[in-house]
Amino acid sequence: MKEGFRQSMAWLHTWSGLLVGWVLFMVFMAGTASYFRDEITVWMKPELHGLPQARVPTVQSAEATYAYLQQHAADSPRWFITLPTAREPSASLFWTKPPPPKGAPPVDRRNRVGRAMLDPSTGQASAAARETRGGEFFYRLHFDLHYMPALWARWIVGFCAMFMLVAIFSGIVTHKRIFKDFFTFRPKKGQRSWLDAHNVTAVLALPYHAMITYTGLVTLMFMYMPWGPQAAYKDSGGTQAFFAEAFAGSAREQSKAAGRAAPMAPIAPMLAQASAHWDGADVGRIAVNSPNDANAVVTLRRADGPQLSYEQPTMQFNGVTGALIGTFGDATRPAAETRSVLYGLHIGRFGDPLVRALLFLSGLAGCLMVATGLLLWAVKERQKFARTLKQGGRVSVGLRLVDGLNLGAIAGLPVAMASFFWANRLLPLGVADRGEAEITWFFIAWGATAVLGLLRPTLRMWQAQLALGALLFASLPVLNAFTGPAPLTVSLRSGPSAVAGFDLVALALGLGLASAVWIVERKRRTSAARRAAQAAQTPQAPQQVLVASEQGS
Amino acid sequence: MASLLLALVFAASLAGFCALSLAMDRHSEDVYGRGSTPGPWRRWLQLGGTVLLCLSLGASLQAAGSSIGWVLWLGALTAAAQATVALLGLAPRRFPWIGLIAAAFAVGGGLVYLLMS
Amino acid sequence: MRRPAGVVSAGVRYRLGVASRAVAAIAGGYGVAALSAALLALCLPPLFGTSRSEAAMTGTLASFLVFAVAVMWVFAARTALRAWSGLAIAAAPMGLLVFLLTRSTGGAA
Repeated sequence: MKEGFRQSMAWLHTWSGLLVGWVLFMVFMAGTASYFRDEITVWMKPELHGLPQARVPTVQSAEATYAYLQQHAADSPRWFITLPTAREPSASLFWTKPPPPKGAPPVDRRNRVGRAMLDPSTGQASAAARETRGGEFFYRLHFDLHYMPALWARWIVGFCAMFMLVAIFSGIVTHKRIFKDFFTFRPKKGQRSWLDAHNVTAVLALPYHAMITYTGLVTLMFMYMPWGPQAAYKDSGGTQAFFAEAFAGSAREQSKAAGRAAPMAPIAPMLAQASAHWDGADVGRIAVNSPNDANAVVTLRRADGPQLSYEQPTMQFNGVTGALIGTFGDATRPAAETRSVLYGLHIGRFGDPLVRALLFLSGLAGCLMVATGLLLWAVKERQKFARTLKQGGRVSVGLRLVDGLNLGAIAGLPVAMASFFWANRLLPLGVADRGEAEITWFFIAWGATAVLGLLRPTLRMWQAQLALGALLFASLPVLNAFTGPAPLTVSLRSGPSAVAGFDLVALALGLGLASAVWIVERKRRTSAARRAAQAAQTPQAPQQVLVASEQGS
Repeated sequence: MASLLLALVFAASLAGFCALSLAMDRHSEDVYGRGSTPGPWRRWLQLGGTVLLCLSLGASLQAAGSSIGWVLWLGALTAAAQATVALLGLAPRRFPWIGLIAAAFAVGGGLVYLLMS
Repeated sequence: MRRPAGVVSAGVRYRLGVASRAVAAIAGGYGVAALSAALLALCLPPLFGTSRSEAAMTGTLASFLVFAVAVMWVFAARTALRAWSGLAIAAAPMGLLVFLLTRSTGGAA
């Protein structure tokens, strides 16, 4: 702070990165996995692997969902239907349950909504597939965390994201030779190699990192910064009015039920009219407000297409007569469109698997950037204790804590993720609340690795956890072969491609983790050799040598 | 056609970064030994590298449209830059040949695409 | 970053300085960002004729960048006092304008 702008930015970069690094590492890992959440869900439902992948026409899917909802949720205040896509062949249904009558005991939050996955060709719920959250777990984990109210989680993640944005800006300012160092990676040089690794993973994917952090904040921006809408709409409806104006025609709009029953108009003509209006584009989502009521409103939302922008045009129809109420979103305004594009960039639901694969790669670079940053801090800090260590002393409590947290967060998370997939295949099908049970195994594994890491933050522990992660990941294709109908040999030839892709990526991640074990082994041997050389020069008491070799230096 | 374009995107970005890295003293040393500099080639390598990156952008916009094309390009740049770093470390002596082959493919493929469309 | 060794009071003063800046950055930075969002939302419509919802959206989008810059200012400033003063100097006119604009327009477009 007295030392000049670049140095103060270096200080800021270090601390803003360190204090939230462990949460950010998890956010990056879970977020990167989410690019392929649909494919992960498919892998986690082996019952569906052998089924033919014929595409059902939209109209047939929509009518099937309507029939199902009429049968199971006729009195619900709101229906939400997500029609099948190329990546997700089932229809996803969500409905709210009517509130309990006055005087009845309050209903638990989870029982206030109903969910179902529908096989559009049969119109039956996909009960054949085992109950699992699938890739949705990682998607939710990276902003809703777990075991806490979503609101707290989003504030925590938003706080960390803001710190990350500051870390990115200060990192750019502080990196003097950003172009000269662009391709520089000098391995086997200790601290410099860590710095090189941090620079390479950060700079080479810098547009991505800046984009994903800023757009992450944008996705929840009205929660974090409501002051713009609040100020502009202060005396005329507040933020509610803002949303009604900015997002007119959205499926989230509420409408009042009339209380009189009325039959629903058929959905097929509405779909046809919408598609025609959108130049042949498909309908992606259907929302019905007050179904089977005289005031029913049906909102159709265009399917995701090749545009970056997340918001899609909608059309609203009278649910009883089928008449068009209005079209929304055909003409976009600059700020709203900007936000929509930024949102779409973050969500990354591009149909093109190549683009998503590149985003996945950049996301992995982000994970490595955070990890190398955390490790670099520990390596640098350890140098301050070089003399104390040589004399047989110990490092500070703070550094030991960071060492332990680094271990548990970085090496433990892959073990946890792999455990989640192993639990998916090994847990018995009839377990109550099976989806949550798989998640519990994720956290048990992570907790165990974290505790072990804090107890013994040594290089051997790093190797043990990384090796365990490598083993668990690399053997996932084997697990799939024994517990599912589509082993790699089959899925490579005749699909599902999601299963083949998952198996291959799991294998690759396992190999990556194994190479990390090897890097640690090399480090361990050179440190041991160095220590042996020092011990040969300056005779030390035996217990000092023992203490010095305990800490992973 | 589409796959030719995509291959062009990657080949051109890889070739571009190879050229730009060789234009730097540090990486010239990595490949040709200590004390070597690109010398009179520096400007040509920088120019050529930039042109190849622009070629990659053009192919990307053509392949994926005017908005997603930018995302594809930036993603390809990330992959190509990481590959360049890896190649400099793992195969320094073959590095200039790899770059040359990628450049030849990019330029040749670009010509083929323009002639066929 | 070099810390003066030995003397306890210097170490404590350093820590207090950091703590003060952290509060300035997080709370003060957020305040400045929030004010900038409100200000843009209120002054873009009369200045450029943008609609209310557009102005509110623009203000919100820009606010995170303002936040990041404010944080960088706080840690680049030579003393903690300067850090706080800089934020106050930025916040005061913005706050005044926001106050006046909400009073006069009453929020109506």
